[in-house]
Amino acid sequence: MTNAIRMRQVWTIARLQLTRVFFSKRSFWVYLLALFPSVIFLGHGVEVKWKRERWGAQKTESGILQSIRRGDTDGEVLQKAGMPITDFRSGAFRRRREIGGENEEREIERRYMMFFDGTNRWDLRFENGILQSKRSRPLNDFDEDRQIFAGVFQYFYLRLAIFFGCLGIFMNLFRGEMMDKTLHFWFLIPARREVLLAGKYLAGLIASVLIFGTGAALSFALMLWPQDPAQLSAFWQVEGAVHLFWYAAAAGLACAGYGSVFLASGLLLRNPILPAVVILLWESINGILPTLLQKLSVLYYVQALCPTPPPVNANAPLLVRLLSAPAEPPAAVVSVLGVMAVTAVVLWISSKAVRRLEINYGVE
Amino acid sequence: MSTTTPEVEFDDVSKFYGEVLGVNRVTLRIPPGITSLVGPNGSGKTTLMNLMAGLIHADRGALSVRGFSPREPEQLMRVLGYATQYDAAPRGTTGMDFVTTGLMLAGFPAGEARERAVKALERVRMQEAASRKVASYSKGMRQRIRLAQAIAHDPEVLVLDEPLNGLDPLVRAETIALFREFAAMGRHVILSSHVLQEVDILSDQVILIANGMIIAEGQIRSVREEIHEHPSQYLVRCRDASRVASLLFELDHITQVQIQDDRHGLLVMTRNRREFSRALTRVSLAGHLVESVVPADENMGALYEYLIGGDR
Repeated sequence: MTNAIRMRQVWTIARLQLTRVFFSKRSFWVYLLALFPSVIFLGHGVEVKWKRERWGAQKTESGILQSIRRGDTDGEVLQKAGMPITDFRSGAFRRRREIGGENEEREIERRYMMFFDGTNRWDLRFENGILQSKRSRPLNDFDEDRQIFAGVFQYFYLRLAIFFGCLGIFMNLFRGEMMDKTLHFWFLIPARREVLLAGKYLAGLIASVLIFGTGAALSFALMLWPQDPAQLSAFWQVEGAVHLFWYAAAAGLACAGYGSVFLASGLLLRNPILPAVVILLWESINGILPTLLQKLSVLYYVQALCPTPPPVNANAPLLVRLLSAPAEPPAAVVSVLGVMAVTAVVLWISSKAVRRLEINYGVE
Repeated sequence: MSTTTPEVEFDDVSKFYGEVLGVNRVTLRIPPGITSLVGPNGSGKTTLMNLMAGLIHADRGALSVRGFSPREPEQLMRVLGYATQYDAAPRGTTGMDFVTTGLMLAGFPAGEARERAVKALERVRMQEAASRKVASYSKGMRQRIRLAQAIAHDPEVLVLDEPLNGLDPLVRAETIALFREFAAMGRHVILSSHVLQEVDILSDQVILIANGMIIAEGQIRSVREEIHEHPSQYLVRCRDASRVASLLFELDHITQVQIQDDRHGLLVMTRNRREFSRALTRVSLAGHLVESVVPADENMGALYEYLIGGDR
């Protein structure tokens, strides 16, 4: 049999398997995982757009808002700036203060006003009708949104969604069929077991890359959707395409790496829980492992490809900070070759396992 | 198709499932023709078939199917078709798609795969149900669609696990005719069956298996001849049954003679078939008309009872 025929067999197997992967009931939660962040970014985008439109109808000139000073009365502010977008009064309360060794008790009534100048929201706080503080911040911060996307991509997509999605997709390629008592169908075709493995892996890879690539791209697009057109244009001219490419590459390589690992797990082990927990733990502590061990991880390589570092909360507990801290990133080319090397080694182990694999439905 | 050895050979093959014995030290040579594997549940019939198809691997020994190792499915599955007892059709697949898919995976181009699928479906009389989903099929139809998939690539060796289960009498007869047609072309049809009457009718040779061990193999008659512990039974039809009975009963090798109710038949048990044959010649020469002599225990039922006993 020629290699051309074997390649055709690989593609035929992949094509048939793809239908099973995409339309399997087991895949439903994989779609949920992939699309979950898109829902969040969509919600955020709708909120920003809605506020911009609604508040924009009642906007106040930026210059007027800048001219308002601490100590102005609420009446003066209303006279200068017009009707605020929100105007809220808290109930009166008593505050006791020690001034010069004497206790002074005052009744305080607070009032909050919010104005919008078309780009920034202005929050004004009054006490007993006198302006105490004024703060402005953009309705939407592009840099902050990109950081949030980076966080969602690295903490949710890479560590959870793609990880568990690949677990569901690739584990089922062999173990799921063993449980359904349908694996013998594939073993009875005139094809090498390695060809079968390649076809099934290809199907899993195409499916996972499409599902999670689409999910990540959709989230990225929805993150960009409410941004200021001028900022967006500048972003695309400078780094937008490069960011998108590296996010896509990271998602694709994560699918390839985790896919190979879970394919092998499905061939070597009956219970998917055990390898999932062990691998998840291994990947989670990657940042605090010795340098040599860090390299035996998919996350180590793919995290390094992400163009924006994820936000790190300095107030988070030490353990959380340690677990979320990425390892010292290798060069991009090392990352790509690293994942490919890990994948190749794991697939080679899988090819040995699939040759030994037996149909024994009785023990499943 | 080049085949070096037109036989299925097991050489000292053993298979264990952990601590549980599958088959033990099986040495067999199965020639072309229809071969039935007969034995109680759990005796090792399916294990033997799975070993032939490479679905499981022997722990020791070697086996080959027409010269091909079961560890090389790329070659083996071109000459072997296996209808297991399990459905393998994906959800939502029609009968036609199921058979065509198998052929496309075997490397046939789409057009040829479809043509072959149509032929195979016609041979098992499933052409009318071909466009229906496999999930909606009855047990018998599922049996036939598995058979269609097994024969679609025109294999040299057909391995069938309980292929007649669930078939109605007409389809059963047609399926047996299909097996005979395959066997007549010098191919192997290796099947397991619980229905011993059917095994009698269709088998060129039988393999009796119990507790993972081969108890007997060969043509039913040859196997029966090897069983010396049980006297051979014959039904003799003749006019004067009482007289013939008294003549036969005088012989040492005759252990029992029963006269049938119509007084024209005898059930004779003998320990020496050759001597019995000579005795019947002498009886005929003495003027007693012997109309027919038929072996009464050269069938699977008797062999099963003698060699295995107990539940089937």
